Amino acid sequence: MASHIKEFLGAEKPGDYYSALVEQLKKANGEYHAFNQIDGSVADANNAVPFSSKANICVKGFETTAGSKMLQGYVPPFNATVIERMLGDDRFTFIGETGMDEFGFGTFGTNTEVPAKNAFDSGYAAGGSSSGAAVATALLKYHVALSESTGGSISTPAALNGVVGFTPTYGSVSRYGLIDYASSLDKIGVMARSGEDIRIVFDAVRGRDDYDTTCAVQDIRDEKKKKLFVIEELNQYSDKRIHSHFERLLDTLGEKYEIATKSIGVLGSAVESYYIIAMAEASTNLAKYNGYKYGLQHIEPNARYNEFFTEARANFGVEAKRRIILGTFIRSESVKSRYYTKALSVRSMIIKEMGKVLKEGFIISPTLPVTTPRVSDVKKLTPVQEYAMDIFTVPPSLGGFPHITFPYQYTDGMPIGAQLVGGQANDYAVIDFATEWESEFDYKYKHNIGSL
Amino acid sequence: MDEQEFDRLLKVARLKLSESEKKTIKRDIDEVIRYFDKIAGVAAGDDPSYQPIRVPTRFREDRVIPFKDVELLKKGSKLREGYIIGPKL
Repeated sequence: MASHIKEFLGAEKPGDYYSALVEQLKKANGEYHAFNQIDGSVADANNAVPFSSKANICVKGFETTAGSKMLQGYVPPFNATVIERMLGDDRFTFIGETGMDEFGFGTFGTNTEVPAKNAFDSGYAAGGSSSGAAVATALLKYHVALSESTGGSISTPAALNGVVGFTPTYGSVSRYGLIDYASSLDKIGVMARSGEDIRIVFDAVRGRDDYDTTCAVQDIRDEKKKKLFVIEELNQYSDKRIHSHFERLLDTLGEKYEIATKSIGVLGSAVESYYIIAMAEASTNLAKYNGYKYGLQHIEPNARYNEFFTEARANFGVEAKRRIILGTFIRSESVKSRYYTKALSVRSMIIKEMGKVLKEGFIISPTLPVTTPRVSDVKKLTPVQEYAMDIFTVPPSLGGFPHITFPYQYTDGMPIGAQLVGGQANDYAVIDFATEWESEFDYKYKHNIGSL
Repeated sequence: MDEQEFDRLLKVARLKLSESEKKTIKRDIDEVIRYFDKIAGVAAGDDPSYQPIRVPTRFREDRVIPFKDVELLKKGSKLREGYIIGPKL
């Protein structure tokens, strides 16, 4: 599939293109809630591709809430580095902020006051936590989305909305200006309708940043591989339908690649290790929301220190409270080595073992172990059942490995996605795999707002 | 987790829950901790990775760079006589 960015920039457009686009998008957004805010000033743009940003990426002068009531009214006085770089590139123009699970805490996009709706069928889950970014990409023909993933927040919603979602190597894109969830796991990535568009945006935003010392991966490689590995410990979690679709995908890919099965025993502990680390870091990162520094203004100036904070922090949602309590528990001196330090050691093993396999080839898997669930079914899941849905997206997240999800099948009118993982810094090869796939497989969209 | 430990965590995390929230969240947390306990059986050694990549130590020049938009910064907070209002110490 050709680059939508290049096609758009080279095409003739009617004089009222952007104002008509805003009108159409506002109407669609009333139904799908992809955007928290649409920037009306895009109507004055001149031959630039609209880009959106997830609501946890700071945009100067634009309310940025990370999907949380705690940050209502927070207007950043600065741009995140990725925003600064996109705004400084005349190929792109900002169109608005997309909705998300509160602080990124969710697999299905339902942990927020106004959840985005799946672009293929509004009765189904949009996926999380970058739900709005995926729905926006599925609604708009010419658009790219800056999104963010901690443990699958790009892959999952991209798969459920039938778009391409790329999560880069940890440390290749600056996190400066990202409202953090878990600092050692957060990555800013891209969603688009083609691999080629993702590569263009990745090149526009990546690279050293003096404001983020962890942005240390500069040399991106393009080492193509001939082998695709299926991991035994992960594959067993797919339900029968996903398993059968995925087997057919492997048959197709088997014409070009050597498919092999590998065992990486430690990946059987990836989900619990991920959630232990993520919750420990989240509980410290969320300590700064206290009712007077950012966003929500809790006005009880006569209240004492502890009461003031406690009253203000009652405004977190249920999942945020659950993770803060669990993270605080995990970091307690009496149990720290049992959970937190152990999880960090499991991460070391994952980096080492997956790293070895990724030197030989790519790892391929379904993106989710189930087909798209209905919103009503998501509400019945217990937290542990929901966390287990991240079985395929958590391993590359723990290891900081680049991964891309792409649609490969449509069943009962809904898209199904697969995920490819590459070695650290081999991002170009991972993106190009999707581009190659697109040359033989046509993606389907229900909406094409902004078509020319 | 017993009630006493749960209440200690709420105090440390500065969280107050309604009775119904407390009941639901406590039940969920017990389930999640049982799930986390599976990690006890993994022979992972003692080699923690605090980051997935090696982050080299990088220094920058020791000089003051004034923030340009102090007024916009203050806009997010309630002020009195130019100072941000906070709780009593």
